[in-house]
Amino acid sequence: MYLSLKNISKIFPPRGGVSEVTAVNEVSLEIERGELVTLLGPSGCGKTTTLRMIAGFEFPTTGQIILDGVEINEQPPHKREMSMVFQSYAIFPHLNVNENIAYGLNVRHLPRPEITERVNRVLDLVHLDGYGDRAPNQLSGGQQQRVALARALVMEPKVLLMDEPLSNLDAKLREEMRTEIRRIQKTLNITSVYVTHDQIEAMTLSDKIVVMNEGIIEQIGTPTEIYQYPKSRFVAGFIGRANFIGGKVLNQNHNQMTAEIFGQVITLSGLQNTFSPGQRITLIVRPEMIDIYKSGGGFPGIIRRAVYLGNVIEYEVEIGGELVTAAETDPTKMVLYPEGETVTVNFSETTIQVLPANG
Amino acid sequence: MAKSETMVNIPTSRFTGLLRRYREFSLIARDPVLFMSLLFSGIFITVFVVVPLFRTISGGFFNAEGAFDLTYFGRYFDDYFGPGMRRAFFDTMTMGLLAATGGSLVGFIFAYALVRCRIPGQKVIHWLALLPTVSPPFALSLAMILLFGRNGVITRRVLGITYVQGMNDIYGMDGLVIVQTITFFSVSYLILRAMLERLNPAMEEAAASLGASRFHIFFTITLPLLIPGIAGSFLLLFVESLADLGNPLFIAGNRTVLSAQIFLAVIGEYDYQKASALSLVLIIPTLVIFLVQRYYVNRRAYISVTGKPSGSQVVEKSPVIRWGFNIVAYLICGFIIMLYATIIYGSFSSAWGVDFTPTLRHWQMTVTRGVEAILDTTFLSALATPFAAILGMVVAWLVVRKNFSGKEVLDFTSNLGGAVPGTILGIGFVMTFNKPSIALAIGVYGLLALFFAQVVGKNARERLIILALATAAGVGLAQVPSITIYTVIGLLYFVLAGILAGTKQGRTRVIIAAVIGIYVMSNNWAGAITAPIATLSRSMERGFWSNAIFQLSDHIKVLIQPPPSLLAIALVFAGILLTLGIRHRGLRVGSGVIALLIPCTLSFMEVPFSLVGGAYIILAAYMVRSLPASVRAGVASLQQIDPSIEEASNILGADAQYTFRKVTLPLILPALLSGLIFSFTRHMTSLSAIIFLVSARWRIVAASILSEWEQGGVSIASAYSTVIIILVLAAIGILSLVTNRVFRGRGGVDLSIGL
Repeated sequence: MYLSLKNISKIFPPRGGVSEVTAVNEVSLEIERGELVTLLGPSGCGKTTTLRMIAGFEFPTTGQIILDGVEINEQPPHKREMSMVFQSYAIFPHLNVNENIAYGLNVRHLPRPEITERVNRVLDLVHLDGYGDRAPNQLSGGQQQRVALARALVMEPKVLLMDEPLSNLDAKLREEMRTEIRRIQKTLNITSVYVTHDQIEAMTLSDKIVVMNEGIIEQIGTPTEIYQYPKSRFVAGFIGRANFIGGKVLNQNHNQMTAEIFGQVITLSGLQNTFSPGQRITLIVRPEMIDIYKSGGGFPGIIRRAVYLGNVIEYEVEIGGELVTAAETDPTKMVLYPEGETVTVNFSETTIQVLPANG
Repeated sequence: MAKSETMVNIPTSRFTGLLRRYREFSLIARDPVLFMSLLFSGIFITVFVVVPLFRTISGGFFNAEGAFDLTYFGRYFDDYFGPGMRRAFFDTMTMGLLAATGGSLVGFIFAYALVRCRIPGQKVIHWLALLPTVSPPFALSLAMILLFGRNGVITRRVLGITYVQGMNDIYGMDGLVIVQTITFFSVSYLILRAMLERLNPAMEEAAASLGASRFHIFFTITLPLLIPGIAGSFLLLFVESLADLGNPLFIAGNRTVLSAQIFLAVIGEYDYQKASALSLVLIIPTLVIFLVQRYYVNRRAYISVTGKPSGSQVVEKSPVIRWGFNIVAYLICGFIIMLYATIIYGSFSSAWGVDFTPTLRHWQMTVTRGVEAILDTTFLSALATPFAAILGMVVAWLVVRKNFSGKEVLDFTSNLGGAVPGTILGIGFVMTFNKPSIALAIGVYGLLALFFAQVVGKNARERLIILALATAAGVGLAQVPSITIYTVIGLLYFVLAGILAGTKQGRTRVIIAAVIGIYVMSNNWAGAITAPIATLSRSMERGFWSNAIFQLSDHIKVLIQPPPSLLAIALVFAGILLTLGIRHRGLRVGSGVIALLIPCTLSFMEVPFSLVGGAYIILAAYMVRSLPASVRAGVASLQQIDPSIEEASNILGADAQYTFRKVTLPLILPALLSGLIFSFTRHMTSLSAIIFLVSARWRIVAASILSEWEQGGVSIASAYSTVIIILVLAAIGILSLVTNRVFRGRGGVDLSIGL
């Protein structure tokens, strides 16, 4: 493993009337060379603190950080040979674009011609050639973002750290920069750690997503794994949307199960966990896995709310006294059921995930 | 969650708290420059703020023999001294309350007129309102007496009043309060102006849209929002008024206030126990208000003064109110102009009150006999200025950006030196540095030596060797007579340079070591260097130039002959930078021992920290007085800079010191420059803190003004005041010019940092 975190915790001591805070709790993580790993989670989940510990701005209270076989727990940031793109870009306002990008190379006392050459190369890479003499306040938000990225890339860092780098851009630019960052990261094959609270960003960029909540890791996996096989209610709810439907196990045979929900028996397949008969379970059902028909076999329901969004129709259906969100994405079935209509509801049973009821 | 329970297992007892602190400091110590700046700030503030204040406060409880004694506190309660003592105390408080009320009121009028009443001539009014901050301590009292005194131009000439015994004249509480109001209202004006500008007009507009009348809005919205500012300025002025020494000495007449009482106890009776006891009485209300201000009022503020002014301003529409404010402001401005014109004209009039024909006689006296004081004051003020401003920026940086235990203490004590009345600090300086206890030297050296060994040595054995050898040799060497010692030390630096040449540390260190060696040796050559200058001055005709050139020789001596105990502190840090990171073990230990034994020798030779009578104690007093303003300017400016800018530099490979030089300092340069301006002004005009520190060799203009006044030299006193005003204005002008060149529209220097 290139970069590993082993049981990292960060406890901020009580200060100024605020009691002790455990920001990161026993986090373990392995990152391979050339991989882009995203730390994803809501604000206050410890993802930024984790990143700052990798950078060296904070030192872990317990645990180990190992980079390329060497423990770097309490090594100061300037010795780690990493670089970071900040949420606020943190461009030096008193230096022009060239000077900003050359800053780290100057610290290393590289020869002048090499600095110029490397700066020009990286300016090319981020499509900013010709902007070298501009002052930071003459640049647009997107351009400043590129300078910040270039300044980090030019160092050829051991690890590139990015702390919500796109959150200050408008939606269209964000999409553009997302693909741009992924392209550059792939070309240069830079090991990267990317912090975001935006699930789409995480899905489009990452080799591996680490979902964090309240200081702990909820799940680590590829974007597909995280979406299709969420291991907890939190992950299912945070990535995409999900209905949580309570049920009871009747019988399980390897990865096949019969269970009772809404008073009916259904058969589920492709299960990853084992349950005992009679156990209470929660089914994770994504809105797009729900089909609504005028009549036929399935759960009887009543349409409570219907919203037409163009590419999708969203329903809230009442089944057995509970409200379930459904999304109709199939253009061939774009009939809008009116509110109050009685319908039958079917779940596409092969894609449903099952968790124990308290998960 | 089960997991979190195992985490909470880490005990939070006192022991782990200490352990955490130790770990925290050992982490900071990995960046030696960062730790050095922390250590230096800490030592400076301890030696020059905490210890002197402690000496003053405790001094009142011990008599000359060192026995516990409450005589002077008892006097407040007996029948003989009691009435007088109590009256002085109540007079002091009355003065403070009246001056604070008057000053805040005038400050509010100016702020309101400038922000909301579109007063014509804004710029001029603004600068006039700030003028009192740059004038020497006695100037306004002097002008008041010249105008309204028993022989004053207005009282005697214009109104034709002849003074008879028992008449109410300008001397006394009324005159004192008027002078203090004019002297101190600038601070209040700046605070309230900042608040008014940042008051969001939307709030008043919202109230108006809800149907409130103008007066209703003023009393239910505007005023309540300004209350923290008004309260803050009131408390600040109260403290300033209590601390004021110059005006009470001049104009209080038969009233006595605490600061003057303290002054007389030292100058008249040479009774330091009495002075200390009175100081404690004065420091209590000051400290209480300082704490209230810092921890209560400032946290109640609805309007943050660090942000930018809101774009639009509410403008006063009613012409009656608008011109009411404007006319009062104009009248006060007229009064201020009159006072300053009086000072200037006073220096030219033959005999004030009797013969007003202009003459240059007083100026001739001032620039010949007085040139010594003028040049000494300017030289010392200017020399202390960059140190105070840079130290201020470093402390601000540590306070805002770094996390360490004791940060609050550093923040608090760095402000303390400027917040307490100067007289109290001055007494503390005399008591601490006249016959200093050896414990001070041992404490400072011990701390520095431990840090030195920790940073330079690689393991416990090396550290112990360096500590033991260097201390033993240093203390031994300190017994050698001081004439030869500087040569010996200089030579030791050449030895060190030789060792460094043998390491792979580059040529810079070798050169620096040699340069330090030459500098230390030059201590012995001071006579030879300055002798020709002195001879030259004596060969000239007595007058301005001969005196001025003679002073030059004194000033050169200040630069090359610092007190050994202070030089030692600087050389410990130099030693660390020179010997840090040497690979070869023998060379590392050898150079470490040499680099530490030199400061050790200096720390213990002669009488350590015996500074009274010299220039450096005045420099230290200046720095302590102006430090808080620089710190506040730095803090305000740093708080507006995104911390991730410094982190970006850090992760790009720059350590703390490189980051500070290349990123932080350029960004807080405007704050640094206003710190420079403010510090210089404060140095030039300070009186109370240094009045006890002046000596025959180092004279200060403020003290000269006082002695001229006592001898009836009103015109010469005016001339001195004029000189100070001109010098300060010139310095401000030059620095602003430089600033405008450098920043070309990037926002000028903010003078409001004195708050």
